[in-house]
Amino acid sequence: MSHDGHHSVVIPAPGPEFVPHTVAHHFDTPVQEFQSLKLGFWLFLATEILLFGGLFAAYFYYHDLYPETFREGGRLLSWKLGALNTSVLLASSWTMAMGVRSAQTSQKKKTLIFCGLTVLGAAAFMVVKFFEYKSKHDHGLVIFTELFSGYDEAAKQLPWFKDYDGAMANVPHGHMFFAIYLTMTAIHGIHVLIGAGLILWIMKGTAKGRFHAGYYLPVDLVGLYWHLVDLIWIFLFPLLYLVP
Amino acid sequence: MTTNVPVIDAHPTVPGLPKNYLNCSRGFMSWAGTLDHKRIGIMYLIGTLLTFLAGGVFALLVRLHLWEPHGMLFTNEKYNQIFTLHGAFMVFLFVIPAIPGALGNMVLPLMLGAKDVALPRLNLLSFYLWLSGAVLATLAIVLGGFDTGWTFYAPYSLYTNQAVVTIGLAIFLLGFSSIFTGLNFIVTTHKLRAAGLTWFRMPLFVWAIYATAILQVLATPVLGITVLLVAFERLYHIGIFDPRLGGDPVLFEHFFWFYSHPAVYIMVLPAFGIISETVSVHSRKPLFGYKLIAFSSLAIAIISFLVWGHHMFTSGQSTYAMFAFSFLTFFVAIPTAIKEFSWVATIWKGSIALNSPMLYTLAFLIIFAIGGLTGVILGALNVDLHLHDTYFVVAHFHYVMMGSIALAFFAGLHHWWPKMFGVIYDETLAKIACGIIFVGFNITFVPQFIMGSQGMPRRYATYVDEFHGYHQVSTIGAMILGSGVALMVYYLVASLLQRKPAMENQWGGVTLDWQTPTPPPLENFYAPPKVTHEVYDYSTLDLKTLQRPVS
Amino acid sequence: MAAHTHNDGHAHGHADHHGHGELQMGHHHVSSTAMFTNVLMVLLVLTIVTVAVSRFDFGGANMLIAMGIASVKASFVILFFMHLKWDTAINKITFLCSFVFLSLLFIFTLADQATRRLDHDIHVVKTKVDKQWVHPSTLSGK
Ligand SMILES: [Cu+2]
Repeated sequence: MSHDGHHSVVIPAPGPEFVPHTVAHHFDTPVQEFQSLKLGFWLFLATEILLFGGLFAAYFYYHDLYPETFREGGRLLSWKLGALNTSVLLASSWTMAMGVRSAQTSQKKKTLIFCGLTVLGAAAFMVVKFFEYKSKHDHGLVIFTELFSGYDEAAKQLPWFKDYDGAMANVPHGHMFFAIYLTMTAIHGIHVLIGAGLILWIMKGTAKGRFHAGYYLPVDLVGLYWHLVDLIWIFLFPLLYLVP
Repeated sequence: MTTNVPVIDAHPTVPGLPKNYLNCSRGFMSWAGTLDHKRIGIMYLIGTLLTFLAGGVFALLVRLHLWEPHGMLFTNEKYNQIFTLHGAFMVFLFVIPAIPGALGNMVLPLMLGAKDVALPRLNLLSFYLWLSGAVLATLAIVLGGFDTGWTFYAPYSLYTNQAVVTIGLAIFLLGFSSIFTGLNFIVTTHKLRAAGLTWFRMPLFVWAIYATAILQVLATPVLGITVLLVAFERLYHIGIFDPRLGGDPVLFEHFFWFYSHPAVYIMVLPAFGIISETVSVHSRKPLFGYKLIAFSSLAIAIISFLVWGHHMFTSGQSTYAMFAFSFLTFFVAIPTAIKEFSWVATIWKGSIALNSPMLYTLAFLIIFAIGGLTGVILGALNVDLHLHDTYFVVAHFHYVMMGSIALAFFAGLHHWWPKMFGVIYDETLAKIACGIIFVGFNITFVPQFIMGSQGMPRRYATYVDEFHGYHQVSTIGAMILGSGVALMVYYLVASLLQRKPAMENQWGGVTLDWQTPTPPPLENFYAPPKVTHEVYDYSTLDLKTLQRPVS
Repeated sequence: MAAHTHNDGHAHGHADHHGHGELQMGHHHVSSTAMFTNVLMVLLVLTIVTVAVSRFDFGGANMLIAMGIASVKASFVILFFMHLKWDTAINKITFLCSFVFLSLLFIFTLADQATRRLDHDIHVVKTKVDKQWVHPSTLSGK
């Protein structure tokens, strides 16, 4: 019992390669701790949905206002790379789910392998993203080196959007699609990197034997975060690469 | 009929043994690195009171400047910065975080019978996010200031040559501070209630903080993305809010008010919670309509997401949207009125003790009735077209923000001050200060209602001579109000130095926060509390000792 | 929530110490590998379907179809990969709430934008009325 505040509840390790988990002093039971942190994390995920939701609202708002711009812009993105990245993320969601499952069943080695594969998936996603960005840069659709050059008041021109091929010449405010594309994919990409970092942290804890059937909560939560990253991409893919 | 609380036989706190949360450890790190919700609450209290005083100084500067029609103190540009500072400091650094951060942190786990909040580390992170926000906001002043008003409307906020990105980042951090506080309180309320503490035995302060937390979690992220987009817009011109680039500034207003209307309830719901406590304890009567008040908090939280467009009646929003928003706005009045009537009915035939928290509460009830009703007036579409952006709006939201929320905060501060520090302030001075604040407040803002209805626009550095008298009365009122606040700060600080011990149960409360030693020990309760009484059940309270018989 | 099956039969390292009803949900669902794999297959197939339907022009329905398929995919991720199907009621409500309140932002913002085009009719009437309107002071017995 932990009521006197001196003796905390300890979850024993299931084997010699694991370490026991001590329940935080202000919780009475491991279940209370588990459920509190999990509810807290779902609430955090809800805030992520609303944060991204603002960007989606902006997307729909301007998709309504400038439908041709979005249609033409969508054609300039490579749907093949988008589909490739979608598959990579979906597969990495699978490996993450398997990683959580391995932690739930105290399979240390498998947890490490599946988490490692998930990080590889994240890396692959970012590599594909890099080539995608590079192609946009080369065509003058998003000139990354000019992003912070400021608005050219005299020429009424955006330095980062030059559209060398004139592909967007016939639609109003051609930069608008690419501004939204860049903002959404960049913020999503930051989440991918954060997620990969968290998974690496989980792998470190797993290697030390901290996570097992009695206590796998951090693996579970990082898994949820990774699935959220996937979830957002599921909507980004058709909206940006296959503009309806 | 009023009776004073019999305090003759009450036990004063014994200084020294046993140790409480204030003297259990010493040193800078024992505070800066603390995970104890009470110490974090105290740090929030100090921080938010300092920003309140800073915001108050900016307010007095604004009022002094307006003493003469052509302005007394500043250039017009400087004036724009000063009123922006007043608004931004008061809203983002004081009103939103003060009650949940300071009093909520202090009291909520006590009321739930918990040892701490569910996520203590996140709680400390919330405080440091608040602190970084405060530092950045102050830095923004040094970096050239900002003159956009606290609303940061595009496109002006995109073009003005000032530290908008810095203050935007500050607001982003403050937003996440607020989100994490709310998240923490939701989890704590769900998972850390003491044995026997069912949902309908929870004090109404907990219900109010819970409803607030829902708003904090669901509305604030949209503010976060909005200030990020403004920052991106300024840094690399994405065009989403910029009409030069095909963007629509009205979209900014939608995003901003999707957060900022619910934010009004993030500010006012905790105030309602405090009033529910003080009105019951100081009338010695269970709350009239307990469940109605509890559910009206949730109703307000939900309805507040449906009405934000009433801030945009002159922005170029579609006429149809304006109809809908105006219509829906009136529904907020129903749960709000339920609360006001329930409080008044609670006082009725109560055994009223006119302690200083009760005086602040009564002042709240009067001022909030005016503040709320003028809000209904402004929600009417056709009336708002006339009153939009006039001093009528300024007076309305100051009746809510300052007159209601700040006074409720003071009521809560006086109510729980003895609990927090184990000392009691000079009750006579407290009553005098409350009177001065109430009078000063009304002298400040009644003339603003009149000026506003006659067309005096808000945020102007100068005005036509016809309004001279009103402005001067308003400025005098602000000085009176300021001196009342100064008196309050004086006797509160003095109480900490004089250390006149408070009673164990200063006012005779029966919720769990009054069933723990004063000040509480590190983990709040010596034994895990069990709740066997209905909430606000004063029948077993010994009026002489203000203690419940030990069961 | 009742106890769930443990496919791998691993006992938890703890027992419930208390009799509180709320604290008895100590059993966590462990899904089978086959289920995860099936879900992945469904998601990949739906990705192909997403690309395929984008080749056809359904007019305004394209957006609805694309978002519909994405929502189905999202539901699979949420229910199975994120385990929400076996999670507590409050966690389900929490996550659902984020979508409900987000939809409010969408509905009102987009409804404003969509109905602004209709404002034209109102302005035609309003201009007429404005022209006929005379200030009361000019009507009085001057
Ligand atoms: Cu409002």
